[in-house]
Amino acid sequence: MQANSAISAIGFDPYLVRRYDVAGPRYTSYPTARQFGSAVDTAVYQYAVKRSNEDFIPSALSLYMHLPFCKSPCFYCGCSRLITSRPERIAAYLQRLYSEIHLQGSHFDRDRPVRQLHLGGGTPTYLSDQQLADLFNILRKAFTLEERALREFSIEADPRGLTPQRLQILANFGFNRISYGFQDFDPQVQEAINRVQDAQQCLELIGAARAAGFCSVSADLIYGLPKQTEAGFTATLEAVAGARPDRVAVYGYAHLPQYFKAQQHIHNIELPNADLRLRLLQRAVEVLSGHGYEYLGMDHFALPDDELVQARTNGTLQRNFQGYSTHAGLDLVGLGMTAISHVGDVYAQNAKTLDCYYAALDSGHLPIERGYVMSADDCVRADVIGRLMCYEELPFDPIERRHNIVFLEYFARELVALQPLEADRLVRVETDRLLVLPRGRFLRRALAMVFDAYLPREKTAHTYSRVV
Amino acid sequence: MPSQPAEIVHELREACMSCSLQELCLPRGLYGRDLERLDALVERQGPFHEGDHLYRIGDKFGAIYAVRAGSYKSYTVDSEGREHVLGFHLPGELLGLDAIYPGHHVCNALALDTATVCVLPYAQLSSLASQISGLFTQIMRLMSKDISDTATLAGDYTAEERLAAFLVGLSERFRLRGYSPNEFNLAMSRRDIANYLRLATETVSRVFARFEKDGLITVDRRDVRLLKLPQLHTLCEAMGNP
Repeated sequence: MQANSAISAIGFDPYLVRRYDVAGPRYTSYPTARQFGSAVDTAVYQYAVKRSNEDFIPSALSLYMHLPFCKSPCFYCGCSRLITSRPERIAAYLQRLYSEIHLQGSHFDRDRPVRQLHLGGGTPTYLSDQQLADLFNILRKAFTLEERALREFSIEADPRGLTPQRLQILANFGFNRISYGFQDFDPQVQEAINRVQDAQQCLELIGAARAAGFCSVSADLIYGLPKQTEAGFTATLEAVAGARPDRVAVYGYAHLPQYFKAQQHIHNIELPNADLRLRLLQRAVEVLSGHGYEYLGMDHFALPDDELVQARTNGTLQRNFQGYSTHAGLDLVGLGMTAISHVGDVYAQNAKTLDCYYAALDSGHLPIERGYVMSADDCVRADVIGRLMCYEELPFDPIERRHNIVFLEYFARELVALQPLEADRLVRVETDRLLVLPRGRFLRRALAMVFDAYLPREKTAHTYSRVV
Repeated sequence: MPSQPAEIVHELREACMSCSLQELCLPRGLYGRDLERLDALVERQGPFHEGDHLYRIGDKFGAIYAVRAGSYKSYTVDSEGREHVLGFHLPGELLGLDAIYPGHHVCNALALDTATVCVLPYAQLSSLASQISGLFTQIMRLMSKDISDTATLAGDYTAEERLAAFLVGLSERFRLRGYSPNEFNLAMSRRDIANYLRLATETVSRVFARFEKDGLITVDRRDVRLLKLPQLHTLCEAMGNP
């Protein structure tokens, strides 16, 4: 189709992308989790929740539940997960999760409904129907759930073994958004990552989800995987785009085998080099935009009538730990091992090991281990970075009003640091706003990094994945 | 027993004489020697922290207090342990007037944020007031204002009228202090506001949300911006001048 004009409209310039290809955070939060420390414990978090209840219009809630179990290991995975085939392990985890839900619920005022809910993992679809039923019963008792029409309840699904009947059951529970991990349909790649799944079956699940009542279906792909080729990935892209999911997420594989044991099965020599990585991303942009998908930023593409695109139009698009989200301003409650909460100015993260998670809940308290209390400066920068990650325009006035600053003075140093990016036409600084130019839309992270107060002190740049 | 302050602030020997709240508070209309004599009476105490009580029910009455910085909530507790908010007190406003007649405090005064107060020992204050007619007049005026403010809430008004009147009243109080009448950050919680206005907490939030939806205000945590003050005035007209 009109790939070339679409490319120039999107502004993907491979030479620029290569130049700004430095390691950096994904800004699903600011400050990032690397700043979390022991200043936040259960008491600090509970006080933050209490204070948030006292806002004149306390926000509704967004719940994230982490279900870390998987039947088999996918080698690329950098998520927190545990491989098991023993149902009693899952039952043991759920028992603690239920008491955590009950505990968390007791702190929030009941006129704050759960508007957004996301089940992630691991493999959330590992749970049986009965376990899901129990989960929802517990949720309903502990929290007020938003009325169905206003809910955004999403679940991550492993397509292997998933049937239309199961999808219907999930929809009946109230899930209305789903994301499928497709990664790549090339059989060579699938073998190299230990994630073999039938392309046809996968694609049929897109329509099946819609038939079951899901209003948004996302297909997740990964570029930069071992043995990936331009031809193979293009075929996957064409097949997925042809099935028209509402969203396509195209993640770049982050090879950090020193942190993620499973990745040690992947050999450096099998990985695409920087050139090929770039070409794979370029193909994704070409194919998807050729099929009418809009580029949201970072890794996400969506059809024009998808709610994320509409949220961007309405100014309610934001970024949180799940990626892009339609709801700005909801307090986030993290449930399960490693989950992160964000209430008011406080980030709080749950225990990272099963033992610590269990120990806390078995003694009747929340499993919060670390976190961060945002300073006034953090709040300003979080606003700026959040805006840069989601929108084309950053007007100064709302930031100035909200934080009582004069933007051009407060960020005088950052504006100097932006000059090379301005010269490369990624961004333009005007008297009353910043504009992210088309060439900057693929390099939002590089723009955000300019405003990140913690970056200059970071010496270990290799712990972040590359911008592309 | 009056609660002990964290530290006693002996600033400049001047208290009232260099205070920006002069016009609102007791010194209004006083000059020269009269002002000096009032000034000599005043002792500043603080800073108190959010959650500190200035006095509690039953404490022996010895002094009137003027809020110098920060804000206070006065409240009683009924036989079932439920709190009843009587009022909120901003800088330049007095606390303790209701203790004059009984000789002891009949409510609790709680700091809602970091606060400083001016202490006016009552015996000396009333002695001075009998000698300085301007001071006597100002004390009467402030007591009268206290009485009429309390009466406003007694009527049978809707939730919208009550909240509109509350916001309009605060706007005016901030304006008199030289702050913006349209944008302010409040120290009290929604629960306190609800209690004071005799509404359910959820109702207060619903009305705030309604006002926001109708474009009358914007709300961000406890920051309120009044976009259409005249319209808010109209809403609470039935209540008389709040």
